[in-house]
Amino acid sequence: MGDSEYILEADGLHKSFGSGQVAEHVLRGLDLRIRRGEFLAVMGPSGCGKSTLLHLLGLMSGTDEGTIVIDGLNTTGLGETGRAELRRRKIGFVFQRFNLISVLNGYDNIALSLRIRGMDTSRTGELLEAMGVKAVAHKKPSQMSIGQQQRLAVARAIAHKPDILLADEPTGSLDSENAEALLELLTRANRQDGQTIVMITHSDAVTEAAGRVVHMKDGKITNENP
Amino acid sequence: MNQPIRSATLPSAGLFFKLASDSTIAPPPPTIAAKKKFLTFFFNWQLEIGNRMIPLPLANILHHKVPSALSALGVAIGVCMMITLSGLARGSLGEVADRWEAVDADLIIYPSNWSDNITTISGGGMSDKDAEKIKNLAIGDNTAAEYVVPIYLQRISIVGIEHNVVGVRPEDLRYLLGEGRITEGRVFDPKNACANWLKEKFSTPSEKIVDISEAELADHGGLEMIIDSRLARASGLKVGDEVYSAARNFTIVGIVPAGAMVRVFIPLATAEHLFYGGMGRYTLLMVKLREGVSIGAATEAIRRQKHLKVIAVGEYRAMLEDRFGVMYIYVDTVNTITLIVAMLFIMVTLYTMVIQRRREIAILRSMGAPRMLILKEVMGESLILTICGAAIGIALAPAAGAGIEAVKPLLTVQITTQWILIAAAAAVIGGSLAAIYPAWQAMNVDVAETLSLE
Repeated sequence: MGDSEYILEADGLHKSFGSGQVAEHVLRGLDLRIRRGEFLAVMGPSGCGKSTLLHLLGLMSGTDEGTIVIDGLNTTGLGETGRAELRRRKIGFVFQRFNLISVLNGYDNIALSLRIRGMDTSRTGELLEAMGVKAVAHKKPSQMSIGQQQRLAVARAIAHKPDILLADEPTGSLDSENAEALLELLTRANRQDGQTIVMITHSDAVTEAAGRVVHMKDGKITNENP
Repeated sequence: MNQPIRSATLPSAGLFFKLASDSTIAPPPPTIAAKKKFLTFFFNWQLEIGNRMIPLPLANILHHKVPSALSALGVAIGVCMMITLSGLARGSLGEVADRWEAVDADLIIYPSNWSDNITTISGGGMSDKDAEKIKNLAIGDNTAAEYVVPIYLQRISIVGIEHNVVGVRPEDLRYLLGEGRITEGRVFDPKNACANWLKEKFSTPSEKIVDISEAELADHGGLEMIIDSRLARASGLKVGDEVYSAARNFTIVGIVPAGAMVRVFIPLATAEHLFYGGMGRYTLLMVKLREGVSIGAATEAIRRQKHLKVIAVGEYRAMLEDRFGVMYIYVDTVNTITLIVAMLFIMVTLYTMVIQRRREIAILRSMGAPRMLILKEVMGESLILTICGAAIGIALAPAAGAGIEAVKPLLTVQITTQWILIAAAAAVIGGSLAAIYPAWQAMNVDVAETLSLE
């Protein structure tokens, strides 16, 4: 672990899609610093670059310009192997559509995540029980309710105890009851396990759980609410 | 019953590694507690054992049952064809070689100006004098030959199929049967009355043109035929049946077990008369050497007779494969094309699966799965499909061979371990090659772009 108070530091991020006249400049020199154990909510209108920011912070794609430092490690110039290694060790993702592996049952979805991380899969049952989805562990995601799928997705994201949890509108597909329950899970993960959470959301209610809220517009951070 | 999804059913993330039980509720009575304990144990046991992580390639195959089954079937057909066609080509030639090598002789002698392909030669290229010379050929102080069997070879049609027919003296037939003996019926007339009668007819100077009717020949036992059990089974012929061949009606007088030199035998004199038009002419001489006489020395001695060629019976198989080996190239080419088609089928299936699963591959990559893992997953799928297909193909091959032999009883399908291993290895190598392009596609899935397209 690095000594910096920031676990994530993004400086001057630029990201475009396409080229020439059809190029779309999504991020335009974005700067962002996130402290260890912080719960950060990112808000902004559709198309402002929130998801792109999350993908860059999660090292799922490279920047055109700018640097991202994760836990003291400058990721600029890291190859795919190095980025995958960081994703394995330090980052967990929760997606709006859950993105569970459809051909695997609940148990195997968690076990696979642990296996990829080179971790012992024997406590998969324990994790499932803790998330309240042990009873449906033998079912495929398509046979589960939306709430069960999202809990399974969260279990998968935090099974390997990542330092950073990136959540892309995790409550976007949930009803208010399930959304509230999910938020509680994330909050406890943040408070009890000290995981840093960066969550994209459109919901003002969700931002109440966050310690800090940043707003984005046209590929930049426009203002922050502490 | 649906419970509200609150803290009671959603324990905190902090509880993941220290699952504490809620002790605020009074413990149930011992019997209920025991039952609950048992159920908990049973459920946990089931979860641990029954839910042991299934490998992702296998999960994908089981999820995409139809395309996976079709791919495996494609490989199975390819492997089955490879084993069966090779077995057919090699088995049929091998069976001919086995039959000729089973003859109780050491050397085959034929005219020097005739083709070396002695399986297809026919006619009366050799004479009584040649047979006599070989019979009296001396090596050292003794004659080399224990016996000489003159035979007349001709290709004729029997019940619509071309066969090599051998004209042989009744007393020599036993040398050509290998281990077998007449199983039904009898040998040609042991007194050889027909041969004596024909010799007399041809040697009578007053008759310039020998005119022998079919009835006369039949009356003297000349139109007798012996067939082997495979031809009997294939044609339905049995002892006592008449069969029209070479413009004559022959009577089946005996059946010998499969494994005899050829499938059809007739009296030598009849063959000489019908196919040469005279007596004392042969196609080949089969020579059995006396004990102690080396094949090499005898061969050298015979080759000094300028107008004769000789081949050891033990060299017959090599000669046959040399002459007809081109058939192997044809069969192997067909096999290769079949396997390539099967592998293309696997490649298309895997490619389609990869395209359909771009999202899941991207999820794996987002979890930090290295590209090598993705490669292994796709290669694993291909190998599972290929191995399953190969196993099915290997299992089907004996049935396919038996089917071919049932429909065409005169063909031999020889399924060998060597070709099973070759087919299995070809399938595994082909399956691995077929997976390279889909695996490459999978390894290079753009994670962010794929996950963004929700």
